[in-house]
Amino acid sequence: MKNTQSKNKPHVIWEFLSSVWEFLSSVKLTIVLLILLAIVSIVGTVIPQGQGAVEFAKNLHPAMFRFFKTLQLFDMYNAPWFRLLIAFLALNLVVCSINRFPSTWKRFSTKPAPDRSKPFENSTPEDCFEAGVNVDKASTRVEKILKSGYKNVHQKTSGANHFFYGDKGSLSYFGVYVVHLSVLLILVGGLMGSFFGFEAYVNILEGEIADQVIIRKTMRPLDLGFEVRCDKFSVDFYESGAPKEFKSNLTFMVNGKAVRKNDLLVNHPVEFGGVTFYQASYGSVADKEARLRIDRKSNKPVSSEKTVKGNISYPLPGGEGTYQVVDMRNDIMHLGPAVLILLKPKTGEPIEFWVFKNYDAVQKKLPPPMLASPKFNPEAFSPYRFSLTGLKTVYYTGLQANRDPGVPIVWAGCFLMVSGLFVTFFMSHKKMWVRVLGQGTGAKIEVAGTTNKNPVGLQKDLRHLMTNIQNEFHKKG
Amino acid sequence: MNNSLILSYTTFVYFLAFMAYLLGMVMNRAFFSRLGTYLSLLGFTAQTLAIILRWVESYKMGIGHAPLSNLYESLVFFSWTLMLLYLILEWRTKNRTIGTFVTPLAFLAMAYASFSPNISSQIQPLIPALKSNWLISHVITCFFGYAAFALSFGVSIMYLLKRLDTAEKDNRFLRLIPSTAILDDLNYQMIVIGFLMLTLGIITGSVWAHSAWGTYWSWDPKETWSLITWLVYASVIHTRLVKGWKGKKIAILSIVGFACVLFTYFGVNYLAGLHSYAKK
Repeated sequence: MKNTQSKNKPHVIWEFLSSVWEFLSSVKLTIVLLILLAIVSIVGTVIPQGQGAVEFAKNLHPAMFRFFKTLQLFDMYNAPWFRLLIAFLALNLVVCSINRFPSTWKRFSTKPAPDRSKPFENSTPEDCFEAGVNVDKASTRVEKILKSGYKNVHQKTSGANHFFYGDKGSLSYFGVYVVHLSVLLILVGGLMGSFFGFEAYVNILEGEIADQVIIRKTMRPLDLGFEVRCDKFSVDFYESGAPKEFKSNLTFMVNGKAVRKNDLLVNHPVEFGGVTFYQASYGSVADKEARLRIDRKSNKPVSSEKTVKGNISYPLPGGEGTYQVVDMRNDIMHLGPAVLILLKPKTGEPIEFWVFKNYDAVQKKLPPPMLASPKFNPEAFSPYRFSLTGLKTVYYTGLQANRDPGVPIVWAGCFLMVSGLFVTFFMSHKKMWVRVLGQGTGAKIEVAGTTNKNPVGLQKDLRHLMTNIQNEFHKKG
Repeated sequence: MNNSLILSYTTFVYFLAFMAYLLGMVMNRAFFSRLGTYLSLLGFTAQTLAIILRWVESYKMGIGHAPLSNLYESLVFFSWTLMLLYLILEWRTKNRTIGTFVTPLAFLAMAYASFSPNISSQIQPLIPALKSNWLISHVITCFFGYAAFALSFGVSIMYLLKRLDTAEKDNRFLRLIPSTAILDDLNYQMIVIGFLMLTLGIITGSVWAHSAWGTYWSWDPKETWSLITWLVYASVIHTRLVKGWKGKKIAILSIVGFACVLFTYFGVNYLAGLHSYAKK
């Protein structure tokens, strides 16, 4: 009893393994996985991911929230189960490729007999040509022509008859392997990026230096090993107010010594020390100075203009309260420079309103309901009228700083995918047979062919081959 | 003459072409079908001129760029690629019935571009993110892909209609549709071209995203939906090449695939994402 059990065990394991192999090698699994990936990907486009998820999650029922959270639906594309699904597809792809390789290799390497007659069954008169030379001479010429356009040419002679075979495009069987390899390469490149790369950002004020960036995923700082100085940031606008160009003038420094200067623009990243920098955003800071004009409309008009600092209270000229500048923006809603004033009257509620530098232009651009709101009214506190005559702010540039060693592999994968698809879809294996049959003093030449796809292309190639043969005989007689 | 005015006329001409193709089929008159071809050619020529004019105009305004930068321009380009592929197909197959199923799509795209109140036909300057050499190759590959899928959709509808045709029914309209074998073959060819173009479109988009944002893939809804579309057509190709599916099944899958294309094109505009400039 014991003996048979131990004999059966490897057998059972073998059977289990082969059934797993069979499962993994089925195209049904491929299609199920492709469709499954497509369906779950939809979920991630409907539920906001990452940072956007916070706002969405607030409005969810607690039970619903727990459910989403457990399934990691707020960061779905990074969730282990999603990656597992992709890994499964990769495994399926590898197993399928291995499984099918022997038959593909056979199709590629098998050389059919030159004297097959089946391909000639559907011959038309166009595939036939009567040559006025003897059969040996004719077959030498035919062989030469066949060899000039086809590979693997071999022949067979039987009596007065010569049989030839030649083919082209037999490598096209491997196009599909190239495509599948490319998918694996892209996945490997993606994995390499997530293991050995990082995505970080840094904001640098004009004139200041940064030697660290902040990793987006963990929000932890990372030492660059060199320094980046933002010498200047500039932004251009079109007349319509849409942005035209963002530009940072950067200096890269090692140990405080300038090594290289670069202009960084959107779509034109700059690489230094293995880190690639991208122009991602910009802004201006509000802790500097503004110049305000304050008019008091009354019987005795008072007018004063002074430079004020941010977040410091100043008394109103008429003594009705105090005001302070709580926010300064170089550009708000594409309406140009503005400051936010917090006015605290001695009696009544404090009020906040924006004062624009180009108020006349703002009046034209801002929709009437917004214009009517006290938030945008420089005369919100009667009888005063505030005007912004000057604003001193400093720009900062927002840089994306990435390292991704997987990128070249991904690009290689993309290149292979396109070439592989091209081969798979548009190239075919064309097998050609030519027979030269002796007829008295002359010879009868016939061509025929088969193909795995694209029969129209085969007909064209047959015509072409026949024309070449005929031309050869007309030339040489 | 103003380019958007010519484009409005084009919309009208494409509608007339559709009516002519339809009449040709319903009344079984070759005259109307031929008229449909002439009208299609007229509309296509006018549209080509208008696109060139628009391109020149943008340079005259000092903000020169290829007219492929917003929803209006993309819709115009979509119908242009669709008509181009269709006219090639009509010339190759010598069959005009496909026009009845394709010209309405070109007309609808143009009508949406011309008459929707949310779509501005103004030439707008390029924002910094769009100032890239990849803009042209990305948009062209994507839209040729969309156009090929649209043709495959039209052919699939024809396939499903043709299946209703029987000898005893003797329906003129159905009889004029090419045989199911031809349609099935055409359908597969269009899917293959569309798939190759979509692959190129996703790749060029990735290369561009990599230089603009620093990542070649960020799971933005438009990216994700293009991947979903790619996965659907990848399964169609696998079912056909490996499992040998044909005919009705492929036609239905192709219609599902085109629904994904439409969602990638329009639907994602209702979801937040990075492709916001393609919304208006």
